[in-house]
Amino acid sequence: MVLRVENLVMEFPVGGRAGHHQVVHAVSDVSFDIRRGETLGIVGESGCGKSTTARAIVQLPPPTSGRVVLDPGTDQEAELTALVGEDLRQVRPRLQMIFQDPISSLNPRRRVRDIVGEGLHIWAEESDDEQIRAKVDEVLEAVGIDPTVAANRRPHEFSGGQCQRISIARAVVLEPEILICDEPVSALDVSVQAQILNLLEEMKSRYGLTLVFIGHDLSVVRNVSDRVIVMYLGKVCEVGGADALYSAPAHPYTRVLLASAPEPASTVDGSESAIGDEIPSPMDPPSGCRFRTRCPRADGRCATEEPVLEALDDDHFVACHYPTAAGPSGA
Amino acid sequence: MAGALLTVQDLSVGFLTEQGLVRAVEGVSFDLEPGQTLGVVGESGSGKSVTAKALMNLLPSYAQVGGTVDFDGRDMFAMAANKEKHFWGVEMTMVFQDPMTSLNPVKKIGEQIAESLRVHLGRSRRDALAEAGDLLEQVGIPEPAKRLTQYPHELSGGLRQRVVIAMALACGPRLLIADEPTTALDVTVQKHILDLLDDLRRARGMAMILITHDLGVVKGRADEVMVMYAGHTMEEAPTATLFAEMHHPYTEALLETIPRIDTPSHTRLVPIPGRPPEVIDVLDGCPFAPRCRYSIARCLTDQPGLTPHGAGHLCACHAPVGTTSGTQARSANELAGTTATGLDMAQFARKVSVADPEQSGAAG
Repeated sequence: MVLRVENLVMEFPVGGRAGHHQVVHAVSDVSFDIRRGETLGIVGESGCGKSTTARAIVQLPPPTSGRVVLDPGTDQEAELTALVGEDLRQVRPRLQMIFQDPISSLNPRRRVRDIVGEGLHIWAEESDDEQIRAKVDEVLEAVGIDPTVAANRRPHEFSGGQCQRISIARAVVLEPEILICDEPVSALDVSVQAQILNLLEEMKSRYGLTLVFIGHDLSVVRNVSDRVIVMYLGKVCEVGGADALYSAPAHPYTRVLLASAPEPASTVDGSESAIGDEIPSPMDPPSGCRFRTRCPRADGRCATEEPVLEALDDDHFVACHYPTAAGPSGA
Repeated sequence: MAGALLTVQDLSVGFLTEQGLVRAVEGVSFDLEPGQTLGVVGESGSGKSVTAKALMNLLPSYAQVGGTVDFDGRDMFAMAANKEKHFWGVEMTMVFQDPMTSLNPVKKIGEQIAESLRVHLGRSRRDALAEAGDLLEQVGIPEPAKRLTQYPHELSGGLRQRVVIAMALACGPRLLIADEPTTALDVTVQKHILDLLDDLRRARGMAMILITHDLGVVKGRADEVMVMYAGHTMEEAPTATLFAEMHHPYTEALLETIPRIDTPSHTRLVPIPGRPPEVIDVLDGCPFAPRCRYSIARCLTDQPGLTPHGAGHLCACHAPVGTTSGTQARSANELAGTTATGLDMAQFARKVSVADPEQSGAAG
């Protein structure tokens, strides 16, 4: 295990008069483990808390409550949520991030070599310019950017796909343990998307990375992930091995998502997508199960009693009072 | 072919820039019959949105437009020159991608829908507002009477897009152009909006042009599909035919490069190498040749025109997929290890990566 998230809560105060602040419950009591070397996918619609969860892991900003522990049980163990200032800074190179918009995540005034090499200049123990140069060249080459041509150019001279490659180079140059990818292909054309997804797989095995992959496209998330977490309104609905979760979705929301895809998954019926459009306000989430206001199976119990994650089998968990039973008929 | 509603012939759009003439659309032709849906599929820069804007007379005045567009026997460019007021927004309307920027944030929803009824159909304010309420109900908005007096920011993205659709339907259009109508929306809402457009089209016998970058969206929803790349039509066919036997290498590559919801995780995707070309200056060969697995010497010098391959199926390619020339071209390229444009064929091999999580982790 490389990272443990326990009871993560992220709340943001909004508006109102002093003493009457309302609170956006962006992430509420989320716990999960990330195994070394896996790709953990987090999928959900906008506002479900998937990006907030990822950012809370890297303490940007630190969560309202809960624990995030890097390398638990080893001598490298670091409880990120207990660290501040210089102590936290020292841990940061072990976690890196890439973002959705590759162009705005690169400084337009700096050259590619400086963008990619900055982390090394700050962190490398023997900050010999020649060594840093060689390392930057190696990483650029690994992501498919020719350093002899590109290293002295600036981001505006590159396409979105190439900028995303440079972002990936900047993130892996420090050889982090965990790379968090927040919708890394959502802004790219479909013909470029596969290049970046394949590149992430290559980088993962070459540098021994663990990936957290956040996405809204169900097909993309399945393709890259070993395990998938489905989130809704700040809560985890279902966690499982990617193939197990897609072939036997147990939570009604997972089933709705799979049925709503432009080409619905074969494991659900397209008519299962028939739910209301209105997502409840995260300032005042429904009692009990947060999905109950749109759920076709909800009854009185769902309003009063919040479902907790329960194991369907060793590696498949669902938070629902009435999950779909696994099995070939599974209806 | 009795009476096409819309006939587009040899449409071209160019923009003069400092770098040269950007040929955004080149020689696009299609017919659309009443009540039919045409799906236009392409990536950014393929010219699909510029085509839509040309039809809607929304291009800037410096755009260089060529070709002819005939709408039910009327010359559309002549109407544009005569500053025809009651055509766009009445008979032909459009729904855009982002519902927030399509709506005026400081006007009530009812006023915005009523506006076109008052301007184009001369309704009184009261009648127009009543009709707006009916329209909101038709597009599936709950509590329409209350919504009329709300502002766009009070509605969710899905409801806003329904309002935009209601505005587009207000004057009873015969052709609705929907340009990426669901790209900005969540997946559960996307399905509902596409279903709604489909139902309304059927109920009103309206024709529709559905523009998208997602082949999955047009599958099962469009009667015909046109695949565009770098301003050119690559392939056009009835939807079922296209998915059953596509002929253009670009169409095939698009389908193979997109992850499928039913394929197991870590299935290696077949990439399309490179990126779309900058469409400045005249292309000598096929615009897709530099990224194509099938490319032969001729593709570099001789731009392929659309040729028929069976009923209603057009394809612009010298070595179409599924034909003898295509099969020969691909196996020759595989044998040589490279295509006529110098692409390394090895990258197209489809293999499943077998990554053992624990093992690969030890390396870090």
